[in-house]
Amino acid sequence: MSTHRVLTGFLLALGFVLVLVHSVWARRIVILYAAASPIVKALGVPEDEVVGVTRTDQVFPRATKVGSHLRPNLELIRALSPDLVIVGSKKAFPDSAAERLKAAIFRYDPRTLKEILEAIEALGRVLGREEAARNLVVELKAELAALKPLPRRPNVIYEVSSLPLKVAGRRSIVNDIIRVAGGRNLVTAEKKHVLLSPEAVLALNPDFYLYQVGPMNRNPVSPKKRPYFKGLESRVIRVDEHEFARPGLNAFSAAVKLNRIFFETLNQRP
Amino acid sequence: MRRETLIVGTLVVVFFLSLVLAIRYGAVAIDFAHLDKIEKNILFQVRIPRVALAALVGAALSLSGLLFQYVMQNPLADAFTTGAAASSALGAVAALVLGAEALVLPSGLCGAMVGLFTVFRVASFRGRLLPVTMLLAGIVVSTFASAAISLLKFLHEDSVASIVFWLMGGFQNASYGRVGLLVLVIGGTLIFLWKRRLALDLAAFDDATAVSSGLSIDRLRRELLFLGALLTSVSVAFSGIIGFVGLIVPHILRLCGFYRAEHLIALSLLFGSTFMLLADLAARSILPGGEELPVGVLTSSLGGLFFLYLLIHRKRQLYEMD
Repeated sequence: MSTHRVLTGFLLALGFVLVLVHSVWARRIVILYAAASPIVKALGVPEDEVVGVTRTDQVFPRATKVGSHLRPNLELIRALSPDLVIVGSKKAFPDSAAERLKAAIFRYDPRTLKEILEAIEALGRVLGREEAARNLVVELKAELAALKPLPRRPNVIYEVSSLPLKVAGRRSIVNDIIRVAGGRNLVTAEKKHVLLSPEAVLALNPDFYLYQVGPMNRNPVSPKKRPYFKGLESRVIRVDEHEFARPGLNAFSAAVKLNRIFFETLNQRP
Repeated sequence: MRRETLIVGTLVVVFFLSLVLAIRYGAVAIDFAHLDKIEKNILFQVRIPRVALAALVGAALSLSGLLFQYVMQNPLADAFTTGAAASSALGAVAALVLGAEALVLPSGLCGAMVGLFTVFRVASFRGRLLPVTMLLAGIVVSTFASAAISLLKFLHEDSVASIVFWLMGGFQNASYGRVGLLVLVIGGTLIFLWKRRLALDLAAFDDATAVSSGLSIDRLRRELLFLGALLTSVSVAFSGIIGFVGLIVPHILRLCGFYRAEHLIALSLLFGSTFMLLADLAARSILPGGEELPVGVLTSSLGGLFFLYLLIHRKRQLYEMD
């Protein structure tokens, strides 16, 4: 009987110590750039360690919503006492704001698929999950093995928004998705988004005109139904903004999907 | 040759010259002697409708500014000071954030009407319209509408870039359909104004003079208010907010010595079109590689500079310091 009591007491004490150790050592992560959340999850970070996310982030539903990626609520974030905050570009979250958080900052701002892989490895080191990061990188590289060689390099324009007409420039992740898929983005301006004249689109005469649908381009009129694109001869393809325009794990499957479209279309055409 | 005739002649020449330049130059160089298929598409499906829309929006905004100035009896009244532009923009932005592109025009029109109705109600006193109160009410409506637009931008951050650009104006989405609708609206307004041109001249005097001449000034103001709102909301729905055109065009014409309604109406159309054609030409030609500037940024900059010039050079005259 007394042995049983001692054992119970020991187990309770052990549980208490474990809870205490967990609360002291467990990370408290706030993610202010939603594209990084699937990576954090894929690295095996327990859900209760992610304590704050932006309002559109559905990957960690139990985490506190701390505003948007452009206007996070610093008071809420401070209240969560994070020891790591994952933020986006300096434009979206400047250094001055990062300093006020008094927590380690990880800047996640990749512009190419290669930079996404590098960011995964760097994040793995910060989170102490190097092996998971290496495995994820191998997995993503393997996904790209499905890319098929194309008979020629197709010219592409990617519409970010229709009102006004904005297209992806060289600093957009879309530029690299197109490149990896075997295509060429005809818009070479060193910008993420470029306000382009419809005249220029017609003159560039792309093989493929991709238009995204999502928060930045809600219910756009199909390009060929727009008066200024009546003469557009390109193959028009509708894509999901979340899949193509977010620099995360999705970018790899987007490249493979786009490559498949290029491959099928180019092999159909004489 | 009379000075006025010379000004009119110059305006006509500059208008046709601007029209030719606007069609000749753009984001893409077109070989007009040997048009290929793509160049034909660019010319007939993109450039010509755009040039036509720019000219018509310039004309519509100038005319609406002139009408609001008659209503308010104030040369500084325009679609902005009356709240028509901001409330129309609020309606259009609401449609944009809901993803209902097709509803931008009716929503913009509803917004302008609601805004002007509010102004109208606030400025009505015992069956009369009080011009100064109307101006102040317009500023209040404008402030509320701007605040509401800011709230919509805050709540729909992903759409902010689209909303902001749209609020700065542009003619990217020009079409022959829009051109046709604007021709109808301007044409209808002109027919009405032509019949009422003498009444407009009387309205330029004080209320007592106008009423003693047998003019129902309040009825005329209501009619002009409606027409101004119609012109503004259609323009805003088609091209976003383009500032200062309605203010500076009638102002410059009065400075040139034109005061009669029939002259002001005709020349506002001509001058407004020319001004907008040149502003849009600059907006789509300044940046390389087919990139564009919002046309409203250019018109507001030019308008601001013009008023600064007026303030500096007419300061002595205004305050009788000589």
